[in-house]
Amino acid sequence: MTISNDELAGLVEPTRAHKRVYIDPEVFELEMERIWGQAWIYIGHETQVPKAGDFFTTNINHKVPVVMVRDKNGAVHVLHNRCGHKGAKLVETRQGNARGAFRCAYHGWTFQHDGSILKIPNEKGYDNTGFDIKDPCNNMQKVAQQQSYRGFVFATLSPDAPDLETWLGGSKDCLDNLCDRAPEGEVEVAGGVLRYEHDCNWKHIMENLNDTMHPMVVHQSVVQSAQDYIDTLPPEAVKRRSEAEIILPFGGSYEDFEDSGITGFRYGHHYDGGKTSIHADYTVDPEYHAAMVKAYGEERTRDIYSFNTHNTCYYPSLTIKSAVQNIRVVRPVAVNKFVVETWSFRLKGAPDFMLQRTLLYSRLINSSASMVGPDDLEVYRRMQEGLESNASDWVEFHRQYGQDKDEGDRVVGGGTSDLDMRTQYAAWKAYMLQEAYV
Amino acid sequence: MNAQVDLHVVEGFLYQEAGYLDRPDLESWLALYTDDGTYWMPASEDQPDPFNHISHFYDDRVLMEIRKRNFVHPRAASKDSAVRCSHLIGNIRHAGSSEQGDLIITSNFQVVMFYREEQRVFAGTYEHHLVPSGDSFMIRHKKVNLINPEAAHKSIIIYL
Repeated sequence: MTISNDELAGLVEPTRAHKRVYIDPEVFELEMERIWGQAWIYIGHETQVPKAGDFFTTNINHKVPVVMVRDKNGAVHVLHNRCGHKGAKLVETRQGNARGAFRCAYHGWTFQHDGSILKIPNEKGYDNTGFDIKDPCNNMQKVAQQQSYRGFVFATLSPDAPDLETWLGGSKDCLDNLCDRAPEGEVEVAGGVLRYEHDCNWKHIMENLNDTMHPMVVHQSVVQSAQDYIDTLPPEAVKRRSEAEIILPFGGSYEDFEDSGITGFRYGHHYDGGKTSIHADYTVDPEYHAAMVKAYGEERTRDIYSFNTHNTCYYPSLTIKSAVQNIRVVRPVAVNKFVVETWSFRLKGAPDFMLQRTLLYSRLINSSASMVGPDDLEVYRRMQEGLESNASDWVEFHRQYGQDKDEGDRVVGGGTSDLDMRTQYAAWKAYMLQEAYV
Repeated sequence: MNAQVDLHVVEGFLYQEAGYLDRPDLESWLALYTDDGTYWMPASEDQPDPFNHISHFYDDRVLMEIRKRNFVHPRAASKDSAVRCSHLIGNIRHAGSSEQGDLIITSNFQVVMFYREEQRVFAGTYEHHLVPSGDSFMIRHKKVNLINPEAAHKSIIIYL
């Protein structure tokens, strides 16, 4: 190991982080091993693989290829995407159906959907060689641990990780809220995926999600452009447009964002909002509301609506918008490159309008061709380039330091505080020093 | 094939539109669109509609007007770096009429985009729905089918 634990420990202080965490390729490699190799990583949603043999492939960190697949008994597995023979990836495409079995494109070894080996062509050549086809080491290997929560499938390469619900802690309220917003209490992936290449360090997006000091600066241009045009239109023409409800709150004041609050959890999870957020004033579709009241009753429906978060980050790989029903997944590639996937969800039992609004949101805010995401990426890139400067070694996060309130399982602070940064770097340090699960 | 369609006139119109995007001149470009005009770049192949599936772009006039203003806004950091494009259009064909009676024109395109010290190449097919207007046309709908709609794209800050 080229970087000692003492050196790593010195990269993070309570209110600042050393620039090496963003630009040093060796630190990145260690993050892949110690953060992405230990934390629960979001793989996909069970509804991406509805039928037996359906699969979805991804990487757990920047390298390790895995496949999520449903077997004939309905169970979903996360397997290493590697043939038990010579190590070739068994599945090359992003998604599809493997019908009876996975078949290696090289020597034709076949594997069942739970990973167990099915057949080796011309097997008699192995007679009396000491090779045992029944030895599980020849199977497609299961990842160390795999669990799902309300259909959201996570996997970890660490046998030491606590169970998923313990790891999610109080932040799982936000996954619950996303699902509870469905009259039937379940969601399903719908409308495809957007992939957006970011040429900067993966932490820039995780650290931006609840940075509420940036929207009024970075997104001032789109908010003003929208407002300038809307002002030329008759009010009744604007009333019907979800676009206005979605874009304009990005121009909220410092006071608005301060009121929304930030909540941090162990393992680096955090969300902003709760009582209110920039999604809180969306029009409630009457047909949707009727379906919700029928399913839950008035009081419970109000409760579900009233928990309104903006972004919830499940450090390091997943961020969700419960109130919008879309999620973004971070897939690291290199120290200065990652891909963001944006997935949208249908609320089961809700009218089509709800999915259409979710997709509109994903397109307006998260598309590589949107007027919001590219301005975020622009500032991430400027950090990536600026941090190469020798002018200073440090990135600071002091805002409202000393005012974070410890409430036992969570820490709560002002919406414009850097509590989210402090939460993430506490987890970063624990993972990197391999103390997270001690 | 409708013999009355003069592909030379169509070709000239497509080149005019591409020229506005090359510079880019969104004010003149937007003037080519009808009031109910739309611009669509799907995010997957054979995507049936822009509402029940995610797209890279689906702009009606309102979003085009906002985008036009945003493009020149002094505080739009992603627009600090100039963007310049070179469009090549070929294989122009008349592909029938839309339900609204518009002329459907398909073509192949290759766009080289220069942005932030980098040249990128986009390729695919266009589908234009054109409404005759004087001795030229207006665009009621333009669909941009990339050959790699599912790819992880970097920021696409201008219409292709």
